[in-house]
Amino acid sequence: MEDYPEELRTPPVSLVSIVGCPELHPSISAALSSQQPPMNTLALPDFAKASILARSGKPRDPLAPPQPPAGILKKDWLLKHRTRVPAAVAALFRADQVSGDPAQWLQACSDLENLKSAIQGKNTKLVVVLVQAQASDELSEDVTVALRKRAEIDSKNLVVLIEHDEAEWNRSLNKLKNVFAELCAAFYKEEGRRIKARIEKRNFASVELSIRYCFKVAIYAEFRRDWPEALKFYEEGVRVLREMIGTSTRLPPTQRLVEIKAVAEQFHFKISTLLLHAGKVVEAITWFRKHIRSYERVVGTPEVAFLHWEWFSRQFLVFGELIETTSTTIPDTLSPRFGTADNALTEWEFQPAYYYQLAATYLREKRYAIECSSSMANLTTEVNGVPESVMPSVYVGQYVRLFEQGDTVSVLPLSDTEYTSYALSEAERFQDSYEIIALFRKAYESFQSLGATRMASACSGGMAIEYYAAGDFSNAKQLFDSVAGLYRQEGWTTLLWENLGYLRECSIKLNSPKDFISYSLEMAALPLFSGSGEENRENKIKSGPAGSPTISRRENIQQEVINVLERKQSSEGTDDEFNNAMEEVTRLDIDQISPLRMVLIASVAFHDQSVKPGSPLLVSVSLLSHLPSPVVVDQLEVQFNQSDCNFVIHSAQEDSPPLDSNLHDQIVQDTSSLTLFTNRWMRLTHELKSGQSGKLECLSVKATINKHLVICCHAESPASMEDFPLWKFENQVETLPTKDTALAFSGQKLIQVEEPDAQVDLVLNSAGPALVGELFTVPVTIESKGHAVHSGELKINLVDARGGGLLLSPREAEDSESHHVELLGVSTASEDKESKEEADSIRKIQYSFGVISVPTLSVGDSWSCKLEIKWHRAKSVMLYVSLGYSLGSSEEEALHRLNVHRSLQIEGQIPLLISHQFLRPFRREPLLLSGIRSLGSDDKKCSLAMNESNMLIVTARNCTDVPLCLHSMTIQPDGDGEQLCSVQQISGISSGHAVVAPSEEYKGIFSVNPRAISTNFNLGEICLNWSRESSLGEDQDRVIIMKEQLPEVSIEESPLVVGMECPPYAILGIPFTIYVKIHNSTSLLQEIKYSLVDSQNFVFSGAHNHAAFILPKSEHTVRHKLVPLGSGSQQLPKITVTSVRYSAALTPSASAATVFVYPSEPKFNLETNHSTSDEIVS
Amino acid sequence: MIVCVAVVGHQNNPLYLQSFTEADDALKLHHIVHCSLDVIDERVNNPKRSAPTLNETFLGLLYPTENYKVYGYLTNTKVKFIMVTTDLDVKDADARNFFRKFHAAYVDAVSNPFHVPGKKIASRSFGARVSTIVKSFGSGITS
Repeated sequence: MEDYPEELRTPPVSLVSIVGCPELHPSISAALSSQQPPMNTLALPDFAKASILARSGKPRDPLAPPQPPAGILKKDWLLKHRTRVPAAVAALFRADQVSGDPAQWLQACSDLENLKSAIQGKNTKLVVVLVQAQASDELSEDVTVALRKRAEIDSKNLVVLIEHDEAEWNRSLNKLKNVFAELCAAFYKEEGRRIKARIEKRNFASVELSIRYCFKVAIYAEFRRDWPEALKFYEEGVRVLREMIGTSTRLPPTQRLVEIKAVAEQFHFKISTLLLHAGKVVEAITWFRKHIRSYERVVGTPEVAFLHWEWFSRQFLVFGELIETTSTTIPDTLSPRFGTADNALTEWEFQPAYYYQLAATYLREKRYAIECSSSMANLTTEVNGVPESVMPSVYVGQYVRLFEQGDTVSVLPLSDTEYTSYALSEAERFQDSYEIIALFRKAYESFQSLGATRMASACSGGMAIEYYAAGDFSNAKQLFDSVAGLYRQEGWTTLLWENLGYLRECSIKLNSPKDFISYSLEMAALPLFSGSGEENRENKIKSGPAGSPTISRRENIQQEVINVLERKQSSEGTDDEFNNAMEEVTRLDIDQISPLRMVLIASVAFHDQSVKPGSPLLVSVSLLSHLPSPVVVDQLEVQFNQSDCNFVIHSAQEDSPPLDSNLHDQIVQDTSSLTLFTNRWMRLTHELKSGQSGKLECLSVKATINKHLVICCHAESPASMEDFPLWKFENQVETLPTKDTALAFSGQKLIQVEEPDAQVDLVLNSAGPALVGELFTVPVTIESKGHAVHSGELKINLVDARGGGLLLSPREAEDSESHHVELLGVSTASEDKESKEEADSIRKIQYSFGVISVPTLSVGDSWSCKLEIKWHRAKSVMLYVSLGYSLGSSEEEALHRLNVHRSLQIEGQIPLLISHQFLRPFRREPLLLSGIRSLGSDDKKCSLAMNESNMLIVTARNCTDVPLCLHSMTIQPDGDGEQLCSVQQISGISSGHAVVAPSEEYKGIFSVNPRAISTNFNLGEICLNWSRESSLGEDQDRVIIMKEQLPEVSIEESPLVVGMECPPYAILGIPFTIYVKIHNSTSLLQEIKYSLVDSQNFVFSGAHNHAAFILPKSEHTVRHKLVPLGSGSQQLPKITVTSVRYSAALTPSASAATVFVYPSEPKFNLETNHSTSDEIVS
Repeated sequence: MIVCVAVVGHQNNPLYLQSFTEADDALKLHHIVHCSLDVIDERVNNPKRSAPTLNETFLGLLYPTENYKVYGYLTNTKVKFIMVTTDLDVKDADARNFFRKFHAAYVDAVSNPFHVPGKKIASRSFGARVSTIVKSFGSGITS
């Protein structure tokens, strides 16, 4: 677009001229050009210059027959109208020039005459401007009239400018502007009408004139800003122009076409600009399509095809630039259904990138055409030579030759041949490549930002091809590489083929044999697109240097690689420098994302998932290649992460020694040859010895081909092998890397080599459940059964069996004594002897964890120790013991340790459950006031009466499964409790110890006699000395003391004590006496009431109810005589004693009020028995 | 005249591509078909497209390039059909009709129990049928 002349690119602006008074010109021009619409001013300082307004052309003889036009449009016509043909001329006179001096008046008149004659024959309007200094300077009427008459103008075309008053100046200047605007409109309208009349009357001899008139009418319309009319005539002109192609004979055919296209370009540019600036995008694009369609086939002769393509490319470029500069957007009113009947346009057509891409494509077309034309023209131009002094003619799109003869210079037309060779020589001077690259880059960037990656890639590819053509191979290679990625990803093999073909050539040119080999191999392994495999379509330009993608071409490419490897001079391309760049051995690495996976893939599967160390294991190595011809592998090296396992397989035919003699490698001579056929797995199974324990993983498989090419494939597991990127779309039999289908789907390239079996026994013994409080021992025995134990280490760990790990509650964690289960120590059998040696060996024991070292044991030896564990709470615990050892004491062996683990669950049990019970003295009921007051409260504290002998029964129950020995049961008083309360054991362990069988109880009876009042009296704690009942009796020292605190009791004095005396038995029918003794231990008079309820088993004498007063510190006795009426254990009549002062009732308990009634006198010595039983009871 | 038809799979990989020109522009046609996938992506993913068009399989003219016009069609299984023609005026109805027949042929070809979905279509009878459909294009013969 920048190549177009300025006047064509911008809309035309009306032109007026001012003559005279040069000092006012700048301000007048500025005022006119700032008007809307603006006006350009042609300022002539004095009237002598007015002659340039006169028609410059030769006066045409009106009688002569009209000459046929020599061209369609004159180049400078538009420029002339924009700069030299004013629509109106204003003659400026100062007032004093016309009013005073007659000489001056005459001068003014003659100037005016001159001006009039200069514009004679044109429609140019005349304006006379009188410049006054002040508005008050009144001009006489007759001067103005005379001036008007002279100038032959209307009164309104005579304008008075007031110079020295700003307001007046602006007003008068505005008037002048309006006059000018009006006159310009009239002028351009008249001119337009004049030409239009010619068109309408068909008053012209040739088509050229018709087009020219259309152009002129349209331009005049543009001057008037009448855009629709302009558009109409431009379109008419284009229509006529298109018809002219076949009919005109004025010029030789080639030049004719060139001229027509040049004119069409101008017309088209005008139309597109008008449409786009009016916002009519859709119309503009539709128009562009039409324009392209009408000219795309008008190529002309093949020799000048390049001119067509250049022109054609420019159409796209200019339209793209127009769209870009007007920043077009897709109108909202347009149906979003692009490309259908609703909306014939497509998305890309609104994007400048689309036009740039096509412009680049066509410019490339031009480059090809020039190449063809140059080769053809070379022969002819040598004879004729390129014509000299050819220049553009005055007509658009025409060229002429200047011919000098002496002083006269004449212009001669060119013949087509001359023109062709001229155009060719001109075209050859330009390097189109860089322009094409620039266009493609513009399109690339634009498409990339639109997210159209494929379009962008196509542009990239275009750039790359141009770089290649221009000999910039490194840029080309970089671009081709970037494009190839997309094609690989989407599987467009034909496009990839073309790309790789270029890349291959680039790497030759860049002397990079490694790249050459890898690109060639990739090409050779590409799957073919079945639709494009016809051999006869070999065209280097169209499908690039790769040739057409056929199987034979692939085979050729593979052979070329082999030739290069063998340093044979290949048929084309490779030169010495390339061969020199070859290294001795070319290495190619193929990993899982490499495009060369098609060339060679290695799948490695171990037959087992785990293996013992040192035992043989089978590994399958499978290779697959998609290269078309069979590949002979010289040697195959399989590498593992443990280099001891690496092995090499040689082809049997290969009689040369191995390339590198690594002594560690196992060398295997295979009987069959190692030849890979296309798409057929080569399966090799090899037996190797597993190395050290741990992971054994196959890393890579190196295949050496033709001695100089080493392809290093990353080993892949069959289980996780991915599809081949491009071959997965092909219709072919899918084969498995191993014959064993299970292995093909689940095989792994790594194997776990296990630790060797430990040949040492670790034995944990335990004698049933552990008892809380005792030191429980667990014997551990290490017995060597084939391995010597060096630097052995025993780790002991105690873990809560119910999970949680911790053997202490978190709340108690700080307190070290609150561990529920504690590892106290480890005693070894031979501790005394080796204590000094043990001192520096590891020995750490810590609550639940312990480490001790084990002395060196030779084969067959055994060693044992005892773990001492103490339970503080009943808890189930897991004991883990692990032995780690190495087979030898050397450093290498020490690294490799063997481990034996054992575990044992041990229950912890509480051995004895202790309970106790307080009893009151028999048939004595002390009144305890606290018992009355705290009635209903939850105070469970036991109350004891002072100075009464209370009974305490302590029961120890064996909760374990083993019999226990109870050595003693005592109550240890707490602090000064001994003085306040005497505790006496009534019954106890007689002969050393008592054996308590499982779930049996042992009872001890104590009498408690408190001597002081205390609300919170601590009786002390029960101490039990117990041990496991052992038949051997050796564990005397293992007596465990178990203590339990007795609850606090309250001791109080009872104000009243009710005692009942009753014989131990009665005999049916024989009366007996009961006494109820009420002792008042207070210093107060106590009133009591008592009642006796009838009982059916007894008859009695005495009152039912009675009341009495008891003096302080005295005793009152109530006596009743009873006669039993029934035998057996009988309830005595119920006696209730009520203290009025304390309003408390005392009733003897049921057991106390029971007496056994014999039916007759029993046959035993009553006297003795009676006396003893009385003693006990009292 | 139809110069090229193509079937493009889910991963935008070509499943079938056949050109019908004497001239050597097979490679150019590959490029054109590949680039047209961008337009299909744009059309299918364009949120501006109103709801009634969602079920429309015929995508219309994808883009004009050089002297070709590229038409597209998207099956309900998201397989893309692309047709490249040199005709200047293609009626929508003709293009739709062509794609309808082409779709039928494609369905028959992939219904073959020996065809693995997602692989290239290598059936000869499909090729022959496509050639027939291509030859009858625009000639008004309905088969």
